Amino acid sequence: MPITRINIGPVHPSTHGVLRLVVDIDGDTVKNVEPHIGMLHRGVEKLVETRMYMQSPPYMEKLDYISPLSYDEAYVAAVEAALGVEVKERAQYVRLIQLELQRIASHLFFIGTLCNDLGQMFTTFMWAFEDRDKVLYLLQEATGSRMFYVNMRLGGVVRDLPPDFAEHALNFLDYLDKRLKEYESFIEKNPVFMERMKGVGVLSRADAIDLGVTGHVLRASGISYDVRKDKPYYVYEKLNFNVKTQQGGDNFARYKLRMEEIRESARLIRRALNTIPEGDALGMPIRLIGPSAKNKISMVSRELPRGEALMYLVADPQRPYRLSIRSPCFINLAALGHLTSDVRLADLFAIMGSLDLVVACVDR
Amino acid sequence: MIGNLLSYFFLAEWLSSSNPLLYLLGLVVYAIAVAIVISVFAYCFGWIERKIIAKVQHRHGPTYVGKYGILQNLADLVKLLAKQQTVPDTADKPVLYLSIMLVLAISTFIIFLLPLSPTLQASNLGFGLLAIFVIIAFFPMLIFLTGFSSGNKFADISAQRSVLIMIAYEIPMMIVVAAAALLSRGYNIQSLITMQSSNYFVVLMPIGFVVFFIVMLAELERPPFDLKEADSELIAGWLTDISAPFYAFALFIDYTRMFMGSLLIAILFFGGWYGPLLPPEVWLLIKAVIISLFIVVIRATTMRMRIDRILRTGWWYLVPLSLINLLLVYILFVG
Repeated sequence: MPITRINIGPVHPSTHGVLRLVVDIDGDTVKNVEPHIGMLHRGVEKLVETRMYMQSPPYMEKLDYISPLSYDEAYVAAVEAALGVEVKERAQYVRLIQLELQRIASHLFFIGTLCNDLGQMFTTFMWAFEDRDKVLYLLQEATGSRMFYVNMRLGGVVRDLPPDFAEHALNFLDYLDKRLKEYESFIEKNPVFMERMKGVGVLSRADAIDLGVTGHVLRASGISYDVRKDKPYYVYEKLNFNVKTQQGGDNFARYKLRMEEIRESARLIRRALNTIPEGDALGMPIRLIGPSAKNKISMVSRELPRGEALMYLVADPQRPYRLSIRSPCFINLAALGHLTSDVRLADLFAIMGSLDLVVACVDR
Repeated sequence: MIGNLLSYFFLAEWLSSSNPLLYLLGLVVYAIAVAIVISVFAYCFGWIERKIIAKVQHRHGPTYVGKYGILQNLADLVKLLAKQQTVPDTADKPVLYLSIMLVLAISTFIIFLLPLSPTLQASNLGFGLLAIFVIIAFFPMLIFLTGFSSGNKFADISAQRSVLIMIAYEIPMMIVVAAAALLSRGYNIQSLITMQSSNYFVVLMPIGFVVFFIVMLAELERPPFDLKEADSELIAGWLTDISAPFYAFALFIDYTRMFMGSLLIAILFFGGWYGPLLPPEVWLLIKAVIISLFIVVIRATTMRMRIDRILRTGWWYLVPLSLINLLLVYILFVG
């Protein structure tokens, strides 16, 4: 059969943003996938250079609108490392709790959109969004905002946890345990789901290393690498955290891994809420920033919900001199072409859904 | 109830009249009545489907226009009619419009041929069942024409898929219909339903029912076989470049086909109009509505199958199962 070239995106129901794919298909088999990125490029790295340090977090949050807090924290951590600011102990706990809540919200989003990509009519999507909304309410309680929190400040946070936050969070986590069981019984007992996930889009261990993928894509291929464990920050080490891995390397492994990561995050939040010390968690007021910090360089790596993000920051008085971001989605997108050679057209979207790309994060 | 009144006053008499003029008049009135029933069904199901899926997904569904949002579909219809229609330059417009209209015409014609009650029937053909399934075989061709002539690659791919599925699934469908014909000793629909007065065929050939139901889902392009509107890959399938008024038309076709499929299942397996108390037409419609509701709930929960898996299911499971069904029917009830 002759090769047909079809154009998917930039506006397409399952590219989750403005990603454009030029796909060559032979009958129903994908021969070549060529991603065209850059349609959501906002030049965040350059924008940061024109703003004072603490004017940038709102831009950082828009890098990944599914898990804004994670990027916010990564940037602030880079600034802290460059300027040599210590984070208060209670603030470390507060940040950890909020980051893990954000991770749960992001993973729930993933499960919903994945089922959508597999052609379900928004049912799991709606259920997952309902639960994600509960996380957003918790974060709103803690930070005052629903989506873009801007809750990190040098050395601490803007708002400490409210008094009855622990109770609400623990109630939610109990509820989430039940819901996860429901999801698993609803999704994994569906033969169509299993058929489309098992053995599709297999990324071998060696290929995963060669392609440089991180996050759930790497761990689903059986490699135990998690920045939270291997380059620990905050109190992750103290809270005895386990890295989850899966062996399959296929779509199902990536999905299953995220299910387990939600449980692990819930466990972490429980432990953190039980052991959180009393004290002060508030960061420095913004006005005090910008001392003589010339030529101080920091490189901070963080485990975002989508993989490892690296923040390379060259400091300057008042403003960052240069900020470079290693975006996990960009690297994971590079694996798409490798994963989708000779798959069915329908599987292309299942694989793309399982990579969980956020185009804003790819383009920066 | 309108159909009921008509049947008892004059329509049934006209339809069985030997006077050709009176028979023709009866046909015209009956056709109008059928068109009204289809429109009411399509309108109500547009709303019911939204509400049911909303309930499954913990949403409210339409609420603003009218009581419980019952007029939402009317508002949508007005919107779609008011929009500008855009058709790509590459489209073969006459073929596109003609084929999409023929899809509706054929599904309406099939409903028209089905008997609504012992007396209310356009024509009591001796081979009615066969005729209906021969007409159903036109669907793949028309859908392929629609997709192919709309000048869009997505529509083209989707049309090819639809044809593949329908051709693969028509074989088990015809085998199940043959088994039903064996049970009723002929292809007459009236006698097929009368045979079910004591035992519904769903009890006599459960395997055949399962096969036929799955095949009907594929034939109506309902989930999990809805490659027509595989929105995560093919945008809107063979309807990708159908816009505005014709999109409303396509939605109407969708519900008409669902009604057609439900009526066929009700007649073939659930005893058609048999039921206590209520008049026969109402029973048939109630059965069709219940089957449609089931189809809608399936839509809310299942995921889409991949094209090669659908074909494999068809050839490896449905064809053998339908043959086993035919054999069982022959051994148990005929031989």
